[in-house]
Amino acid sequence: MTALEARDTAARKLVPTLCYNCVAGPDFMQVIVEDGVATGIEPNHSAAGVHPGAGRPCVRAYGLVQKTYNPHRISQPMKRTNPKKGRDEDPGFVPISWDEALDTIAARLKDIMSRGLIDEAGLPRVAASFGHGGTPRSYMGSFPAFMSAFGPIDFSFGSGQGVKCTHSEHLYGEYWHRAFTVSSDTVLTNLVVSFGSNYEVTGGVCAVRRHADARIRGVKRIQIEPHLSATAACSAEWVPIKPKTDAAFMLAMIHVLLHETPRTSLDIPYLRDRTSSPYLVGPNGYYLRDPQSGKPLVWDEKAGRAVPHDTPGIVPALEGHFTVSEAISHLADKEVARHENAPAHTAFTAMVEHLRRYSPDWASAICGVKPDKIRHVANEYVSNACIGQTIEIEGRTLPLRPVAVTLGKTVNNGWGAFECCWSRTVLATLVGALEVPGGTLGTTVRLNKGHDNRLVSVVPGEDGFMVSSLNPTSETDWKAKPTGRNAHRTLVPIVGNSAWSQALGPAHLPWLFMDKSPDEWPKQRAPEFWLTFRTNPAVAFWDTAKLTRAIAQMPFIVAIAYTFDETNHMADILLPDASDLESTQLVPIGGTKFVEQFWEHTGVALRQKAVEPQGDARDFTWITTELAKRTGLIEKYNAAINRGAIGSPLKGKNYDFSLPTDQAHDPETIWDAVCKASTAALTDGKEVKDLAWMKEHGYFVVPFKRTDWYLYPSLADQNLRFELPYQERLMRVGEELGRRLHAQGIHWWDEQLSEYQPLPEWHDVPGRWVKAVVAAGKKPEDFPFWGITTKTMFYSAGNNSGVPLMHEVGQNVRGHGGIILNAGVAGKLGIVAGDWIEVRSIVAATRGRAVPVQGCHPETIVIPGQHEHWKTPFAKDLNFPSLNTVTQMSMELTDATGSGADVVRVCVRKVEGPGKGARP
Amino acid sequence: MTRYVMVADLRRCVGCQACTAACKEANGTPIGVQWRRVLDIEVGEFPDVKRVYVPTGCQHCEDPPCMHVCPTTATKQRPDGIVTIDYDLCIGCAYCAVACPYEARYRVDHPRFAFGEEPSVSEQARFDEKKIGVATKCTFCVDRIDGGCAKGLTPGVDPDATPVCVNTCISGALAFGDIDDPDSNVSKLLAENKWFRMHEEVGTAPGFYYLWDKEAPL
Repeated sequence: MTALEARDTAARKLVPTLCYNCVAGPDFMQVIVEDGVATGIEPNHSAAGVHPGAGRPCVRAYGLVQKTYNPHRISQPMKRTNPKKGRDEDPGFVPISWDEALDTIAARLKDIMSRGLIDEAGLPRVAASFGHGGTPRSYMGSFPAFMSAFGPIDFSFGSGQGVKCTHSEHLYGEYWHRAFTVSSDTVLTNLVVSFGSNYEVTGGVCAVRRHADARIRGVKRIQIEPHLSATAACSAEWVPIKPKTDAAFMLAMIHVLLHETPRTSLDIPYLRDRTSSPYLVGPNGYYLRDPQSGKPLVWDEKAGRAVPHDTPGIVPALEGHFTVSEAISHLADKEVARHENAPAHTAFTAMVEHLRRYSPDWASAICGVKPDKIRHVANEYVSNACIGQTIEIEGRTLPLRPVAVTLGKTVNNGWGAFECCWSRTVLATLVGALEVPGGTLGTTVRLNKGHDNRLVSVVPGEDGFMVSSLNPTSETDWKAKPTGRNAHRTLVPIVGNSAWSQALGPAHLPWLFMDKSPDEWPKQRAPEFWLTFRTNPAVAFWDTAKLTRAIAQMPFIVAIAYTFDETNHMADILLPDASDLESTQLVPIGGTKFVEQFWEHTGVALRQKAVEPQGDARDFTWITTELAKRTGLIEKYNAAINRGAIGSPLKGKNYDFSLPTDQAHDPETIWDAVCKASTAALTDGKEVKDLAWMKEHGYFVVPFKRTDWYLYPSLADQNLRFELPYQERLMRVGEELGRRLHAQGIHWWDEQLSEYQPLPEWHDVPGRWVKAVVAAGKKPEDFPFWGITTKTMFYSAGNNSGVPLMHEVGQNVRGHGGIILNAGVAGKLGIVAGDWIEVRSIVAATRGRAVPVQGCHPETIVIPGQHEHWKTPFAKDLNFPSLNTVTQMSMELTDATGSGADVVRVCVRKVEGPGKGARP
Repeated sequence: MTRYVMVADLRRCVGCQACTAACKEANGTPIGVQWRRVLDIEVGEFPDVKRVYVPTGCQHCEDPPCMHVCPTTATKQRPDGIVTIDYDLCIGCAYCAVACPYEARYRVDHPRFAFGEEPSVSEQARFDEKKIGVATKCTFCVDRIDGGCAKGLTPGVDPDATPVCVNTCISGALAFGDIDDPDSNVSKLLAENKWFRMHEEVGTAPGFYYLWDKEAPL
């Protein structure tokens, strides 16, 4: 009997589960299990009417079988025997028992607990870093409950966040419209203007399916980016643009709308009633306010005088200059200025006059796109906006504005990103397309509460806007002393202080300050204990040689380890966890969530153990419970689970599945309780599904209202306005932050303070990278190209780079593992396809094979993915290049939100071969 | 009669290769063998450039040149149009691979596995020694079709009777069905859209159709 025939007669079952390997998930799938062996992945077709991606996972899910049976997996706990750490040091890992590993870790933690969790500098002694966009949480079982029980942990050592995410969008998007990430309402839109949003690669199956359906419906997408990505390939137009000049293009689009098209083409009622456009701005740049109530004033056209913005029955003037007889303004630090007969203009007029200078002709000289093309895009945008049209959804009549603007990663972080986020959001408000059907939408919140439904966070705040939770900048409440090593509460007011805030602070400062912190800054030591899970910052961050040296300074590292890799090379203890197909966890699904998951359901899905763990890998929940036992935290840990640290609270109005807190529970018991409580919570206790039910069915959902995709109804119902276009509050916050920092003698954040503007000023964004070359003592002409990167669907954030199947199928797509450059430029340099070339910056050099193409801006070099591994099995033998190797990590290239961009000035030359990699 | 065909909507395909990966896993094909794959093609000169993704593989031609050159009659054509290879008859001469205008055929003489010479347990479960040293290619997942039909299912409609690549496709670009049934999904797609077939000029009459915008220069 052949193997094939044997397969056909063997016991075979399909196990429903999910993939959450990237931020675009979770997506459903089924594992084919034959005789206890996972042999394949299939979609979960039964979920086609529930999951927006038709129950299908993306290409990476098909690599999970190889990932499971990778012979390079770490199969038992190990400890380091060589105390010296460094890339060139052999760690001397030797196998140890789980008892020895867990006791060693527990002893370290108990010692820290006995001395206090906070060190002399006021910083947590324990730090933890997790990978890609919060997705490791769906693989760490009950570990969040342990962290909750333990106390302060420093999450600020970045492993990609801030420099690899859409960072400014996270902060400003959430501030302006509860949009941690932003999406087009693809199912209803007619036109998407995309500045580098790479939907077809990083949007996940939900985005791919929605955009494919939209294309068949006739939707037009204009893709503006330096490199002709997969998304550009699937767009109606590709507009090549120089890197980091997108803000100029967008400012010029706004100019066209404000100065070259009639006002009737804008959504005047929307601007008047749902934005701060009518608020009066005084001569000092602050809002003029009612002296009694302190409320911002508007000019009532009916009465011909200034009145508080929320006065009933008024018709606020959208634009114009006025004289206000009596008013006050709120300056920094609660200072109040009094005004009599003050000249005033509306915020909208301030914007109109401010934008006059940013014409398409002006922008063309910066971004290299012809003025007529910019006008064409702007006019397409306006002409598709359908001003005045409505649509009925679930019985409610809402505006229909089927145009959207979206921003890609490098557009959306680092210098220039504030201007891009502001421009994108203002473009939406000008035609009434922000948060309405067809328009530009937020997906979810992370800095505010309401992860399951962002509308919960729409609560009245100051000045007629939604409430916002900025970190205080007042003299009394400002955190002069950082509470985490990236100082998110000290330096970045807009990031707030939610559970996600710390990870979204300036994520590279901790690494930079490992070398040397500024004189005026508290002296900070490396954390005494650093835990890593599903992250490899030694490859995934920037200036990887410097970062690797910084990691080597960590005195004690515990790595939850899948295979050896570049980061856990420095670890002291390696713990093998049961991976994707081998462990159990309940995961929230549905509602609205990044990247483009808009569901008509909400609920939970089970990531379940389809096959037994390989080697002695253990379920993370088991590992966690053992740590809780051995550190004496079992009661607090169980209490945290009962409170809802890993799902819904186990006790609710009509149910109680609380676990006894004085004993350790096995993973099945814990997840059984979480399954019951979560399903009960979704149904007010009417339906209770246990773990066995979830194993069989895979998921449990209830309806999610379609109208809850949009923020506009919640604002309209509460008569609230979007805090656009004028940034009065941020101007004040910036002034206060500057005063606080200067009082401490801190001036190294002054450039970042310049971002706190009421209306964005162009400030030669790309020139900042050129200046960085000069500051390093080099000649700009020696680095004539822009180095940028692009993701691929096979790797996304790169945590599966050791899976051969991804490499094999990736080879079908151009640029895989190579260096993309314009074919004309390559010809001039004597470079042909397949040649080894070196890309060098002021930091380091990386080498790869040349991929000359037509679809690449001549000034741009593109290195896809995050590679140049030197330890990860299989990946290290590929000799792939990485932009991370050559990208600068510096204060000068950090913006006010604490983010940087994947951009660096580089030169290119032909070389003989792969060389020795990113050696300093 | 029944004539099974594949339809690929090039307006939908994003080149993600999920079909390629799923096919490899389902059929246990060795490293480098891709019965289903997606080409990444660039047309034009900067800045007027287009890039298009084209799923390809065995076209299950109505007049298959591979079958005509096969000296052992290993390659056959079923009444439903599916072109098959009888591994017991194939001598691995590779004439068929040379004759195929679509570069759809493979021959592997020495098995190689993802992590080296030894198969993992999952690869071992899918390994079929009959496929070594012979011609192989896309079968339209004929086992699924036959198994599904035996259960009364409809290929192209019911996942259990449909090729894996179609089930996998995240953009909905791939469709499969009976072109002789005017009410089938593929018949409707072809009736409602512009389409072409690859290398139609060589007279193979492929059973693989591509939907595309009529204005496009392809």
